[in-house]
Amino acid sequence: MKKTFRFPRVGIPLLALIWLAVTTVPFIFMVASSFKSQEETFATSVWAPPGHLYLGNYAAVLKGPFFTYFRNSLFTVGVSVALIVIISAMAAYVFARMRFRLNKVLFGLVVAGMIVPLHATLVPIYLLTRNLGLYDTQFALLGPYVALSLPVSIFILTEFMRQIPRELEEAAQLDGCSPFRIFWRIFFPLSGPGLATVAIFNGIGLWNEFIFAYMLTSTSEHRTLPLAIWDFMGQYASNIPSMLSVLVLTSLPLIVAYAFGQERVIKGMMAGSLKG
Amino acid sequence: MASISLNNVQKSYASGNAVIRNANLQVGKNEFCVFLGPSGCGKSTLLRMIAGLESITDGELHIDGQLMNDVEPAKRKVAMVFQNYALYPHMSVYENMAFGLRQAKVDKAIIDKKVRSAAAALQLDTYLERRPAALSGGQRQRVAIGRAIVREPGVFLFDEPLSNLDAALRVQTRTEIARLHREFSEASAVYVTHDQVEAMALADRIVLLQAGTHMEQHGSVAQVGAPLDLYHHPKSRFVAGFIGSPKMNFFAGTVVGGDDRGVEISLESGERVRAGVDGSRARAGMKVTLGVRPEHLRVAVDPRNEQTLSSRVKLVEHMGEHSYIHATQTGPGAATLIAKVPGDSALTHDELVNLSLPPEACHVFDDHDMALRRLI
Repeated sequence: MKKTFRFPRVGIPLLALIWLAVTTVPFIFMVASSFKSQEETFATSVWAPPGHLYLGNYAAVLKGPFFTYFRNSLFTVGVSVALIVIISAMAAYVFARMRFRLNKVLFGLVVAGMIVPLHATLVPIYLLTRNLGLYDTQFALLGPYVALSLPVSIFILTEFMRQIPRELEEAAQLDGCSPFRIFWRIFFPLSGPGLATVAIFNGIGLWNEFIFAYMLTSTSEHRTLPLAIWDFMGQYASNIPSMLSVLVLTSLPLIVAYAFGQERVIKGMMAGSLKG
Repeated sequence: MASISLNNVQKSYASGNAVIRNANLQVGKNEFCVFLGPSGCGKSTLLRMIAGLESITDGELHIDGQLMNDVEPAKRKVAMVFQNYALYPHMSVYENMAFGLRQAKVDKAIIDKKVRSAAAALQLDTYLERRPAALSGGQRQRVAIGRAIVREPGVFLFDEPLSNLDAALRVQTRTEIARLHREFSEASAVYVTHDQVEAMALADRIVLLQAGTHMEQHGSVAQVGAPLDLYHHPKSRFVAGFIGSPKMNFFAGTVVGGDDRGVEISLESGERVRAGVDGSRARAGMKVTLGVRPEHLRVAVDPRNEQTLSSRVKLVEHMGEHSYIHATQTGPGAATLIAKVPGDSALTHDELVNLSLPPEACHVFDDHDMALRRLI
């Protein structure tokens, strides 16, 4: 019997392997180079493994204001994600379940917010932040981060909450719940996978966010991790191994979080794609 | 305990489509009332209007004498059991049952006592810590019933609660609901189903609802009465056809003559039949429909001295204890009919058979499909 070529059987693992290479090779390069001294980086091939484990880059990074950046990132991303999750869940419940005249129009406007180019908002947000006296404070990034993440988060959660059976809402109504209690006791807990998706999606994006952090903060006291690289960049030369060790340390929390919460992350990303 | 009263209740949607028209109904205290009807007749809508989950377009709903049209669902003293259980999946069985009482800020010790007592009555005591996903369909439905019971409502509302269960479990749960209503609760119950067996088995009173042109002409409620009342004395051809399985046989005919002791009808097959109904308003030449239930037709023992319909057997369905004969009348304008005969009957395909049709088993419907009063 002639064997037929089936794309899914061969093609999908092949594509997966290619994608694995695309993501892993730069990562290996980053980790390997972060253990090389600056001289070794220039003397050996780019892909050569480090001759010995040189920890000087990490020492240099950790001696600097790295932990201040880390604390700032943790605060900014933590508060932003918490606000995004709560606000978008509340808005999604209203769009998914409450009947009022402007429901579809308002939802359309929120979704349209996804196509506003981020760069078009830079100058107005910069001016607004200055005028509000928030420039270079720990609260400077919260507003833009939350506002720019809301459209896609509301969109994801609205679709998610539309799948929750209406009978649950009616049962809660008969049990004496107000609309807010129905949201808080029934819809919010039942949207767990959707909320996880929103939290992970925004958490990763904001952890790595550079442009607003660069524009709205100026001192190391209020800067976040993606800006730590700048400490090792001079006008005429850059300390590449140290910059890479900053990147390793920056991505480490996400890698650790993924290692421990892998199952939950994948479930969150897949939420709604499979019938429960 | 609570009584329900519907006065001229209407429901129509923004598109102008009427779903419920002129619904008038009284459900007494402790009564088990079943809303029965075909798909799309608005029985679930009417139940949801009583629950407060659907608005009432016009008319009045009273529960225990209080006008409830605009009262919130939670303040109507009703508890509802949904078709797909509607249990909160993130809560345990205990939490599901206690949720309503917690919302009402009932004392914890009282909640605990009520939940445990209801769980014991429903044999759920060993499952209290489980989540609904870890229960079978029947257990989930019992939790849904338990959740309604603990609230001690004035009215229980059941929206097709057995339709997601398999046949054996359906019978068992049906019996359980009847037992619980008698023993555990003194509340009245309104139960929606499209299954007439369920309705006949459970109901103190059946409310048969109708849709389409029947509803346009006569309102949503086709007939209200005890199960056997609807079975023996249907008000209209719709009721007669809906109640009973297999459904009633209908034959078109013309009145030859009649008085208050009976009506003589000439069927399209040419046969003449005397029906035991009050024919005082039947005039000769009036187009009527004769109705006979399959279980009231018998194979004639003495065709010469019995009123019979001559038919040819087309199909015999053996059910064990009894068989259903699908037959066609002989003669012009022949109608098809079904007869229920004993299981050991030896009738075969294409055999000619005289089916005995006692006058007292006949129903007659006038040219507006309304029944002439039966004499028994």
